[in-house]
Amino acid sequence: MLDYSLVNVLGACLIITSMTVVLARTGKAAAYLYSLQSLVLVGLLLSLGAVTGSPELFTWGATAFATKVILVPAILLFTLKKLDNNVEVDLPPKLNPMKSVALVAVEVFVCFVAVSGIDLPTAAAVKPTLAVSLAHFFIGLTCIVIQRSIFKQIFGYCLMENGSHVTLALLAPQAPELVEIGVATDAIFAVIILAVLVWRIAHYAHTLDADDLCELKG
Amino acid sequence: MDYSMLLLILLGSPVIAALLMAVLPSKSTPRVAYEAIHLISLIGVAVAGLMLVAMTFVGYDIFALGEWFHLDGLGALFLILIVIIAPCTGLYSLPYIAHDIADGKLGPSQVKQYYVFFSLFVFSMLLAVTSNNIIMMWVSVEATTLSTVFLVGVYRTKLALEAAWKYVIVCTAGVAFGLFGTLLVYANAADIMLDPHQAVFWTAILPNAPFMDHSLMMIAFVFAVIGFGTKAGLFPMHTWLPDAHSEAPSPVSGLLSGVLLKCAILIVLRFYILAAANVGDAFPQTVMMILGVLSVCYAAFEVYKQNDLKRKLAYSSCENVGLIAVCFGIGGPLGIIAGLVHCLAHGLTKALMFCLAGNVMMKYHTRDLSKISGIMTVAPVTGVLFAAGCLALAGFPPFAMFISEMFMILAGVAAQCWWAIVLVLIALVVVIMALVRMITHAVLGLAPEGMSKKDVPALALIPEIVLLALVLVLGVALPGPLAGSIEEASAIVLGYEDENPANGSLFDDAMAALAMSEEGEVIDTW
Repeated sequence: MLDYSLVNVLGACLIITSMTVVLARTGKAAAYLYSLQSLVLVGLLLSLGAVTGSPELFTWGATAFATKVILVPAILLFTLKKLDNNVEVDLPPKLNPMKSVALVAVEVFVCFVAVSGIDLPTAAAVKPTLAVSLAHFFIGLTCIVIQRSIFKQIFGYCLMENGSHVTLALLAPQAPELVEIGVATDAIFAVIILAVLVWRIAHYAHTLDADDLCELKG
Repeated sequence: MDYSMLLLILLGSPVIAALLMAVLPSKSTPRVAYEAIHLISLIGVAVAGLMLVAMTFVGYDIFALGEWFHLDGLGALFLILIVIIAPCTGLYSLPYIAHDIADGKLGPSQVKQYYVFFSLFVFSMLLAVTSNNIIMMWVSVEATTLSTVFLVGVYRTKLALEAAWKYVIVCTAGVAFGLFGTLLVYANAADIMLDPHQAVFWTAILPNAPFMDHSLMMIAFVFAVIGFGTKAGLFPMHTWLPDAHSEAPSPVSGLLSGVLLKCAILIVLRFYILAAANVGDAFPQTVMMILGVLSVCYAAFEVYKQNDLKRKLAYSSCENVGLIAVCFGIGGPLGIIAGLVHCLAHGLTKALMFCLAGNVMMKYHTRDLSKISGIMTVAPVTGVLFAAGCLALAGFPPFAMFISEMFMILAGVAAQCWWAIVLVLIALVVVIMALVRMITHAVLGLAPEGMSKKDVPALALIPEIVLLALVLVLGVALPGPLAGSIEEASAIVLGYEDENPANGSLFDDAMAALAMSEEGEVIDTW
């Protein structure tokens, strides 16, 4: 079954797992579910590597496993542990789960329609996965917008970043190794910086509620 | 001399400084050690940068590490901004940070954090203007965000941290769209190029751009403009800008507004050039024109409305980035020249104004304009510089922004973009009103009773005097080599590199286009 259909099936699994990350009630659950999603991403990179015969993708799979399945969730879980007990992390989102699912469904549909119009030989066989990768930008954006907890907003960035990773693998599998390392390193630094900032906001402003961080207006 | 090595020295200098400062223990290291490393690194950047700029002025195209880094006439123009503004704001940082320490706003760890991230910020901007690899361009823009988050939130107050959070979330999310656009360009180029490995290099993509898929290129350009336009502060992706600029320490605000926004504009321009080579000028010009006019009109009224000095200046940055976009939207030799001159003029002027805002905050301990009056009385040198800076920002002669704005209007007339010119002129009148009101009240108003009459330290005034002198020089007479460089950069944007301008010079071409337009008008009238 090592053909593009496996890649596309794994692409569909990415959407389901990202949905679970968005809907997770606690930060801890979101971190574990993000790790699971990244594992699916690793599977996608490896299967794409096997199908296209691109050795770079196997290396990308290995680095994605180390960084996204292990390192990023570990950083986020460590941050959770370090947060003051009097700061509420697991704030309910602004949108209820049914509306969130409906919104994501619309986004995925729009992305499928948009990608169907693209005529690119490199991605002809993996159009559904390309649509999924594009949809991840919007799912990530949705996560950032609907979450009240700024800790959970980090997962929005992580989902967007996973979308970038899939897009990079689909459209630029031959890109120099250093490019992938640059993008991955950037993502790790971004998560570390976001985590430190969340800790500082909790420590100095005593809140993680995005609604409390709206004093700068106009 | 090996200029590739010089390019690597330019990039390496701030990184080494940042690493060196990072390993020093914050509590036992005296502040002067950080300041010394900070200054040495900035001197290195200035010397290496100016030498490289001079070489590009005489026609060198410099590559380093294969094709990964490239400095052409266009990049050199933006490098000038970094090598002038970074040392000026870096020097200004010394008295400013010393004042904040004396005020109890910053502790030893924050001082170390400030100088480390300042160097990293300079490095990330140098990377953005010298990168030839389009994916590294994206990485560098993302790196500018990551290196400045802790500079924006350095005071660790609730408002500063709120601004830092909004900044990092909006910019990382926005720039992610830029990556999608970048990857579309790469995939598009890799499909048609004999060696797909070359498809990551901008200089390799450009000759192949006309043969790439048109619809994909248009989608890629829109994604790139949304992504990098977020970083440039174009409306409606500008929401991070007023918060980050107002809450950051003033020298950082100067660097953000004077240089960072222009670096993002450079990346947008790189995609503009590819899109224009692929689908023609009309599409990228329309996109830039729409975003530019919206930015100018929205931001102009915000400039008028704001009562916070630094937010007023921040919205003015949004307005001026809009003006640059309008220039590129008008297009043609004169439009492109106007846009590039405005990048230089606004960069220098806004760095000056944010440093002056820092002087005002050192003196008045507030950014609230209703509480700031009589600067001329309590700090005469700052007062004179502030009034001159406001006039320069308003586009009055003999300052540099008068030249660029005049070029823009002439370009608009030549291209007959009447609706855009009318809207922009109305917005500019609103901005002039806001800035003149600031001069009459804040500078010339009555000083608060009991306030001591003493200016800020000389070390704070020196970089401001240098910046004002440059703004004045650019406004009075564009130095010959710089004019040549602007012409070369415009030729790159217009894809004229291998062609000779009809009149031997792009400036002459631009004036000829204007004259033809006027003749056309006369004939139409008859």
